[in-house]
Amino acid sequence: MEPTAYIDSYFNGELAADEKQQFENKIIEDPSFAEEVANYLSAFQIAKEQSEEIKKQHFLEIYKQSKTHKTSGMMRKLWPSIAIAAMLAGIILGIYLFIQPVSAQQLADGYIRDHFQNLGVNMGKRDSMEAAKEEYNADKPIAALKSFERIILSDSSNFEAKEYAGIVCLRLQQYDRAMLYFKQLEADTTAYINPSLFYQALTLMKRNHSGDVREAKQLLQKVVKNDLEGKEIAEEWLKKL
Amino acid sequence: MTTANKMGVPDSLNITDQEIIGQLRQAGIDKRKSEEQLFNRYVYFIREGMNKHGLSEDEAFDAYSDTILSAIEKIAQGTFEGRSSLKTYIYQIFFNKCVDQLRKKSTNKQSVHRTESITDRLLHISDSARSVVQQLIDQTDWNLLKKRLNELEEKCKQLLLMWADSYSDKEIAAALEYKTSDVVKTSRLRCLQKLRSLYKT
Repeated sequence: MEPTAYIDSYFNGELAADEKQQFENKIIEDPSFAEEVANYLSAFQIAKEQSEEIKKQHFLEIYKQSKTHKTSGMMRKLWPSIAIAAMLAGIILGIYLFIQPVSAQQLADGYIRDHFQNLGVNMGKRDSMEAAKEEYNADKPIAALKSFERIILSDSSNFEAKEYAGIVCLRLQQYDRAMLYFKQLEADTTAYINPSLFYQALTLMKRNHSGDVREAKQLLQKVVKNDLEGKEIAEEWLKKL
Repeated sequence: MTTANKMGVPDSLNITDQEIIGQLRQAGIDKRKSEEQLFNRYVYFIREGMNKHGLSEDEAFDAYSDTILSAIEKIAQGTFEGRSSLKTYIYQIFFNKCVDQLRKKSTNKQSVHRTESITDRLLHISDSARSVVQQLIDQTDWNLLKKRLNELEEKCKQLLLMWADSYSDKEIAAALEYKTSDVVKTSRLRCLQKLRSLYKT
């Protein structure tokens, strides 16, 4: 029998007792055979080690995966707590924002957004004033300002054009120019409703330069005291400023 | 990969000691699954190795994976008699592996496992013949032998790895698509001869 097959039979337990004895005697008596046996066992050993290395690598992958699953499982378990914490944080933030004093600029922004989005047009009337308002409503504020200023240039007593010019300037963030037009409104004694002071206060609040809010408050107090246009809003703002 | 049933309980925790032992002894193609189940069953020992023995996670993992490999072998061989629970048995091996790891750390000893396995195989041989073979094995250049093993044709290498992993020729025939177990035996012996010639060159 070929030596490797003979050795294999021995370790597979396929040899009878006397054959096993012969095998072991041969190891002692035949050095080259002993070496064959050693080679066989070394080959088995190295193959086993390699196989175990592969298994260990596989176990490592399983271990890493189980750690990942554990983490995601932990996240799933913690999810209700996280959700409650997030809700509480949202509520606290909401309360904080609610009770936090609103800035003058925020109040002005809100008013401008609510009241100056569009200028009321007179449907039955077609003149340069209506055309200028339509330009403003068509989101062409620069063109609208030029049109209003042309009207003012041709008629310096047209306080309506000055009011609109001031509003357009406010929207264009040209606060000094807006203040100029709104101040000119003060001189209008013909108007039953004169928002001049209120608009000046609004412009100062929006501009928010140093001292602007203080001055705006004084103007608003005047509006309230003299029962001028914008009184109700002025009262409300004064409570917040 | 760790598998779980519909209740989210890992399969490894669902089966009894006897079931897992039975599966490991049957070997066959399901052997891999049983090995994974055994690994997953006590994977928390790794944390214990870190906490109780002060091993790093890598060292504790090594100790645990060596424990499982050793347990698989002993269960397959029938050495585990079931006098203690599987957990106690595995923990005892794990404890020793942790001590080995600590020793390895202090002495920088590279392989503890090899000596153990060689001894297992040599136990087949009578004392006088064993010492002769042992002396010859001690002269083996393991790095070279490993290199030569990896130089073998893939199927040949695969065959030898399965043989060393206690798969029978019949099981190897089924797994590697050989016609019969006799063909596997012939191929296996040829692969061993090929490895020996490569090693000697």
